[in-house]
Amino acid sequence: MVSLDEAEGPVGIVDFTTQNGKVRLRASRCPSCGAALYPPREICPSDGTDSLEDILLSSSGTVYTFTVARQSTPEFKTPYVLVYVDFPEDVRVLLPFAGTEPPPIGAEVEIIMGAGPRLEDGMAVSTPHASLRL
Amino acid sequence: MEDVYVLGIGMTPFGKHPGRSAADLGAEAVNLALSDAGVSRAEIGAAWVGHVYQGMAMGQRALYAAGLSGIPIANVENACSSGSTAIWDASLALRAGAYDVVLALGVEHMTTMFRGALAPDPTDIEAQLGLTMPGIYAMRAQRYMAQYGVEPKDIAQIAVKNKRNAAMNPLSHFKKPVTLDEVMQGRLIADPLRLHECAPISDGAAAVVMVSKAKLNHFGGGRAIKLAASALRSGRTEVGLVDMTVEDLTWRTAKAAYEDSGVGPGDINFAEVHDCFSIAEALRVEGMGLVPHGEYVARVKKGEMDINGTLPVNASGGLLGKGHPLGATGVAQVVELVRQLRGDAGERQIENAKVGVAHCRGGKAQGVEGTACTVNILVA
Repeated sequence: MVSLDEAEGPVGIVDFTTQNGKVRLRASRCPSCGAALYPPREICPSDGTDSLEDILLSSSGTVYTFTVARQSTPEFKTPYVLVYVDFPEDVRVLLPFAGTEPPPIGAEVEIIMGAGPRLEDGMAVSTPHASLRL
Repeated sequence: MEDVYVLGIGMTPFGKHPGRSAADLGAEAVNLALSDAGVSRAEIGAAWVGHVYQGMAMGQRALYAAGLSGIPIANVENACSSGSTAIWDASLALRAGAYDVVLALGVEHMTTMFRGALAPDPTDIEAQLGLTMPGIYAMRAQRYMAQYGVEPKDIAQIAVKNKRNAAMNPLSHFKKPVTLDEVMQGRLIADPLRLHECAPISDGAAAVVMVSKAKLNHFGGGRAIKLAASALRSGRTEVGLVDMTVEDLTWRTAKAAYEDSGVGPGDINFAEVHDCFSIAEALRVEGMGLVPHGEYVARVKKGEMDINGTLPVNASGGLLGKGHPLGATGVAQVVELVRQLRGDAGERQIENAKVGVAHCRGGKAQGVEGTACTVNILVA
């Protein structure tokens, strides 16, 4: 695990920041149609607006679905759990899950920093993970 | 719109071809299709060649090996729908009146390039987090099970059916049926999907010679089969929270094909469907409006999708049994429809095969359900 003080996005893959100890993913909102868009985009896919606002997603959401990946491409250490998390902003985001047992559909999760499943030079890459709320 | 016809078909065995190049496989399929069509090389006006991982000018390399050169040749990459997109391109050229006889080829040599799970493009954010193709279908399967109250063993029946069919197809990658117990004892690839529920890594090629209606009689088109519709669509960028068990892309593509041909879901009496994973077959048959959402696995269990059932699906063995050389897959599906509609499918012949649909879709990118989808409808 990476301490929150060290964790300032973008680190590696997912663009995020930390606020009051909470991990918040960066996203965009279209001022014209109101759609929240993840990851951050330059152009709204619904109406073509090209002046999108930067927003931060909530630091928690609910599990839409999950799997345990037991076979993958060579950059990943298996097995690992993946989840799609539905955020209150009406955005669905794929995240690694912090744990070896997958969470049930509908579980509330919060976003924390975790390591893996991607390896670079043999080291687990630090990235936001979904975690069951304590 | 002007009708077009499939005049000749050719396909190599699917499976492992360690000693042969993709060009050799492509040339074999082209040769078979030309002789099946009774068309000479000089009569081919243009060719479209679908492939995904074969590199620069694969189409030319395959057609040069087949003794075809100088004509317009276009390479087509559209993920797993590359071969069927080549057919779509060829059908448009015929309908536009640009050519009278054209060739569509799909080819892929994968066993020397890949082992294990395929993934979306490495620049994709989800691929960088570990999303694989089995992973995405496994997550859709988890939702499907939760929403419709089905179990992994219900979904696994699809693999049993398709491998049983594959055992009757001499060109299949797998020639041995499997029991439900064997599927359920297979190792997990991405929960709940197990080994037999994932399409294998295969080599192979398939080709079709297509002809305009105007020139059909010139070639004595007695064995030609009408391509009543060829539709291509791409995935729409998803905004908001969508139901991952419902394939919007499949439905929009099928609807375009229904409207183009005047053939409705109720007229279709057999299907070749993109079963890259067991659950995918359910999502697709439901997505095309052939079965209500959530009912597919119960119907498979009752035998409705068997070769002697009311709606046979993947009589060829599908991707799970016949194999899945990506670029070749969409063409091979059309090859199977033609064999069935001609009554040439041997042991796996569907009785009264009259209207067949081939559904092929491929690719995954962040924010879309799938990248490309084709639906081809063939009518005897």
